[in-house]
Amino acid sequence: MSQRPQPRITDDNRPHWEGAREGRLVLPYCEACARFFYPISPFCPFCLKAPVAWKPVSGRGRVSSWVVFHKAFYPYFADRLPYVVVQVELEEGPRVNGNLFGLDPGSIRLGLPVEATFEREGAEVTLPQFRARAAP
Amino acid sequence: MGWEFRNKAAVCGIGLGPVAKDTGLGNTALIGAAVREALADCGLAKAKLDGLFVNAGVDVDRLAENLGLACRYANQAWTHGRLSGPIVQSAALACVAGLADYIACIYSIDISERGGGFGGGRSHAHEEGREGGGPHGEMPHYGLTHPGSGAAMAMRKYMARYGATAEQLGMVAVTQRAHAALNPAAMMKAPMTLADYLAARPVIEPLRLFDFCVVNDGAICVIVTTAERARDLRKPPVHIAGMQGLRAGREEFVFGRPGLGVWQQTEREDLPQVHPVFAMAGVERKDVDGLMIYDSFSPQVIFGLEEFGYVGPGEAAAWIASGNGRLDGRLPVNTHGGHLSEGMLAGWGHQLEAVRQLRGEAGARQIPDAEVIQYLMGTGVSIIYTR
Ligand SMILES: [Zn+2]
Repeated sequence: MSQRPQPRITDDNRPHWEGAREGRLVLPYCEACARFFYPISPFCPFCLKAPVAWKPVSGRGRVSSWVVFHKAFYPYFADRLPYVVVQVELEEGPRVNGNLFGLDPGSIRLGLPVEATFEREGAEVTLPQFRARAAP
Repeated sequence: MGWEFRNKAAVCGIGLGPVAKDTGLGNTALIGAAVREALADCGLAKAKLDGLFVNAGVDVDRLAENLGLACRYANQAWTHGRLSGPIVQSAALACVAGLADYIACIYSIDISERGGGFGGGRSHAHEEGREGGGPHGEMPHYGLTHPGSGAAMAMRKYMARYGATAEQLGMVAVTQRAHAALNPAAMMKAPMTLADYLAARPVIEPLRLFDFCVVNDGAICVIVTTAERARDLRKPPVHIAGMQGLRAGREEFVFGRPGLGVWQQTEREDLPQVHPVFAMAGVERKDVDGLMIYDSFSPQVIFGLEEFGYVGPGEAAAWIASGNGRLDGRLPVNTHGGHLSEGMLAGWGHQLEAVRQLRGEAGARQIPDAEVIQYLMGTGVSIIYTR
């Protein structure tokens, strides 16, 4: 069986992946600017302060765009076609990507409320993912 | 504008090496063919070439040895197509500043070196795993792979915001295919209708097969010099009248345009028109006779038109669908067929077509009396070429 392509866990992003293993979506946060940011970076993009703090976000957000894969560029995904990748605008601001579970691709809409869920991939890797949630 | 640059530099020679699915040639052989053709095109002696700027395919140092050059200006960019425009710009600046007399700008791709395609970890530069997904934001662990996924994400957002349809998007590929039929060098010349486009398989929805560029081998050489030197060569100079750089930052996305609200961009309704390229060139949009828009994926044509104010936000898909970008339309777009149908040449095919159109060498797809051609991309990079 082919393996899922693994994320590259580095010194710069390790807290994100450690958080996911504990079932929390953890993003870089700048104490000076009092805001989360993404993509992951070893310093704040607004004030360049380093090191950054890492804090959990709510995991709640809304779909800001999505795509549906019909081709498996990696063999691992061949049995999973078609699959959805969403871009989610988190309540805290940053947009992050993930797969969307449990919804027919045809029923996805801009602004769909979603929440983080976690997919255990192995001892080292748990992937933050998303599923639909009831609107607040 | 502190420094008068208009028409100081020019493209004097162009060469297109073999372009095919698999030429059976490596990068150096492909480049050799392109360089020979460019030198013959303008009648320049090889010994006069004293600058070399490589975009992709090989290392500049070895290539200079292979070509037997004595370069006083050697440069190299990261192997990405969006840097083709900036390379021409840098070569123009270097020539006008006297760092070199004639600079050969080189691009080549031997697709077998990249495992025969893109995505799926086959990429030559392994960019999917680099710096949080490389420039396209790819994340293979989510199956968000292949550069086209970024274009698909941007197009979905655009469709959801503005109500653009698959039929409208399809007219980008259909329009360019019709142009390619008039281009002897194009790879994809078979007629294609909108029905053909819609019947093709979805790959990364909302993108279908023909929203993706061709995957091929190829090489190009563009020789840049000063306008003054260009006048002494065989072909009339094609002047670089104006230019503006590639933009980058949190408000940009390589396969979108500002304000769209993909990745970390602010979502906004208006689109500020800050495009010094027009003032630098001394032309207005209405003076432009044709557009060469970077199109590895068809949505980029839509985003480029809006970014540069040829239409308002949300209007480009309908503009294309109405036939405005056809050879006989209001403002012809990608008359060579672009990456979608001529072949993937990382924006260099677009530079060549601009030159051919302004020289009157475009044959059956010639824009009558073309005087001003603009190359552009949705991330702000542009060159306005004039006769
Ligand atoms: Zn900060």
